[in-house]
Amino acid sequence: MDLNKINARLAPRSSWQAVDVGTRLYRRWWRQASLVWLVFTALPFAALAGYAAATRSVWPLLVFWWLKPLWERPLLAFYGRALFGDYPSPLTLLRQFPRYGLNGLAAQLTWRRFSPSRGFLTGVWQLEGSRGERVSGRIGVLLRPPGQRAGTLTFTVLGLEHAMTVALVVLAMTLVPWQFNMEWSVWFQEQGHLQWGFVNLAWYLVLMVTEPLYVATSFALYLNQRTWLEGWDLQLGLTRIGKRRRRAGQGGAALLVLLALFGAAPHQVEAQAPAESRLKSLLQEHGRSDFSRDNDTTDHPTPKQQAIELLASDTFMPFEERQDRRLRESLRDDDDPDNWWEDLLRRLLDQEADADDRDPLAVPDALITGLGYLLLALLLLVIVLMVRRYLPGLGGRQPDGKPVMPVRVAGLDTRAESLPADLALALEQELDRGDVRAALALLLRDGLVTLFQYRPLPLTAGATEQDCLRAYRSELGDAPVIPWLTTLINAWTRTAWAHRPSDQHTVRELMAQWRALRPALAGGAS
Amino acid sequence: MTSDPQGDMTPDQATALAGRIEAQLNQVLIGQPAITRQVMIALITGGHVLIEGVPGLGKTLLARSLARVLELDFQRIQFTPDLMPSDVTGHVLFDSQTGDFRVRKGPAFTNLLLADEINRAPAKTQAALLEVMQERRITIEGETFSLEPPFVVLATQNPLDQEGTYPLPEAELDRFLFKILIDYPSQEDETRMVEMVLDGRLPDSLDAAQLTPEANAEAILALGRQADAVIIDRALVDYILRLVRATRDHPSLVQGGGPRASIALARTAKTQALLAGRDYVIPDDVKQVAAPVLRHRLRLGVDADIEGQTVETVLEQLLEQVEAPRQ
Repeated sequence: MDLNKINARLAPRSSWQAVDVGTRLYRRWWRQASLVWLVFTALPFAALAGYAAATRSVWPLLVFWWLKPLWERPLLAFYGRALFGDYPSPLTLLRQFPRYGLNGLAAQLTWRRFSPSRGFLTGVWQLEGSRGERVSGRIGVLLRPPGQRAGTLTFTVLGLEHAMTVALVVLAMTLVPWQFNMEWSVWFQEQGHLQWGFVNLAWYLVLMVTEPLYVATSFALYLNQRTWLEGWDLQLGLTRIGKRRRRAGQGGAALLVLLALFGAAPHQVEAQAPAESRLKSLLQEHGRSDFSRDNDTTDHPTPKQQAIELLASDTFMPFEERQDRRLRESLRDDDDPDNWWEDLLRRLLDQEADADDRDPLAVPDALITGLGYLLLALLLLVIVLMVRRYLPGLGGRQPDGKPVMPVRVAGLDTRAESLPADLALALEQELDRGDVRAALALLLRDGLVTLFQYRPLPLTAGATEQDCLRAYRSELGDAPVIPWLTTLINAWTRTAWAHRPSDQHTVRELMAQWRALRPALAGGAS
Repeated sequence: MTSDPQGDMTPDQATALAGRIEAQLNQVLIGQPAITRQVMIALITGGHVLIEGVPGLGKTLLARSLARVLELDFQRIQFTPDLMPSDVTGHVLFDSQTGDFRVRKGPAFTNLLLADEINRAPAKTQAALLEVMQERRITIEGETFSLEPPFVVLATQNPLDQEGTYPLPEAELDRFLFKILIDYPSQEDETRMVEMVLDGRLPDSLDAAQLTPEANAEAILALGRQADAVIIDRALVDYILRLVRATRDHPSLVQGGGPRASIALARTAKTQALLAGRDYVIPDDVKQVAAPVLRHRLRLGVDADIEGQTVETVLEQLLEQVEAPRQ
């Protein structure tokens, strides 16, 4: 990698500025990047989406989504080379895929698949060629602040992807002429081949934008982190100074002296190369204010010695005591689970404090990442519940759909505890008082409660006597209890609504029949 | 809550007569017994009916059949955008032979008026008809004429063909006792209908000529009096009010039923009880007439509409949620 050929201006930036640089990269090469995306993904997507539409299954699309790290490799390869002025064709990238695309792919497709820093860390395998133990070390270094913004970036682009997909589908549907009478809520519920195909196509079109954007922004974040850590901008600045000094020594000394005399040289240098300006300010901090004139004096050290001294100074090699806590180590060192939470909390707060120092708009990245994980967990939970609900054959079970008896049915209190312990006795007491309506109500309540315990049906508070009769007639067919219930409800209806009480003999006869029927129902509750 | 019967027939006779009329109507309107029942209820209660359905489902045939079976005077008005109020109510014209003005009565002077595609006429003509429906009187050039009872308007509107229509305002919709949705018959009924036509038991073009008269206008009025005499318990009136008031508080509705809806529900429930062979109302009677009485008086909110709800689904929810009457 020759940094001198780089097409972007390297400078240590904040994470958000780096992401902004990434969007500029995308805007500059969006045509080529989209073409790369199309060449690598169009056929697999068509095959998987076609299968998904044919089977109305979501699994093939889940497979495509799962393979995102694979699809992102060629994009990163393109950006990585385009940044240095080399623009590989999609076919070249396809041919060279085994060289750049396989290292670390297995890890990214398995246990690192849900890493929120996926795009940011791909460079460790693909661009640096790290393998084995070295990978963990590199990741640990790269994830130091401000590199931890990678998680926020991933979840932001994920949200963008979903929002754009929904927006695209809704936009297309609003353009459908009204004569088609397309009710979009119904349209989504129907889940026909057309709907599946259309939604999948919309998702793919959105991916054609968001994936190249995600890779570009992640790549810019990665470059920024390395600039912070490895001083790439300083390296470039020093190289330029060296070149200029060589040119000045060969023939431009007089001009340099002239410029120095007029005091214009520093301004020009500053305007041309910010990295040199940064170097100069660093030198001035360390008492090297004669940086621009060092070529004219023989008492001062040579530029090489100056550079070595500078790089060895506190500015570049500050003594820093840093304490990192990791979850695995914490659990290994201390079995007390409470400490794990305390540690996590401390990490969040520490990061928040650090972030506040750096960026007034900063939100703790770990917090956003944590929220992202929480949302992901909730999504998975919903999927699992849906699978259990709709696919009992896949190890799930049918939910307990037993209806609950309303407190009141047909205007009658149907709580079992509200019924008397001795129904016959209570009924006789009511008849003795001459209250046939109350006696029939008792009998009907007991009948409904017993029937419901025997065969629970979805009765509602608005159900009438006839609704109950219809429901049980439909459920039990010719069971002996149905004629009894019909007679009872007819008697009750006349008494209650026509104010024509049945005679006591009829009520006693119904009670006698109930005595015969009830044990079978009460004993055979399902 | 009771009232004394004033009719000249017993409740059983009334039920039997209504049953015979329904049976006659069901001979021509195959597979739509619920529709004929609802039209019968409206006719006996003395209310007007708005029928909504696609063309070709027998709306006109139903009106003609009803007029034939009941020996009622029948008129039909095809509502068009250029229809004038005087085309409905009548007007005064100069008779050159007598040298005097005379009133020419419009088609509204009848017992059974079929207002076909009522929402195609401009608001002024609709208002003229709706005034007749409410007042049951027509004023022409200062002279007021009362309409002979029974006077029932069967208005139809097409749900799909909305271009060039003037939707009825809510206040005018409220004048209709029922809004009946007529849908395609089931496959079984349609098969039966086709077989009957092929066997020659029904003519190619179904008409009302094959029906025999079962009653007359006086009999209809007597049925109405019997319906008025049906007993309705106060708990059921309370249930009706709870149901209607629930429509005013439902979050999916921006307009619920008014007092006119409560009255219509109580009156039609009584007629429904009579047709079911009872002289007392039960909660099921109220539930059976709730949808045709309320559906055109309720207005769905935009949010609910977007969510895919309909007035029908809201009504179903309400009938399940509003507690059945306590006795």
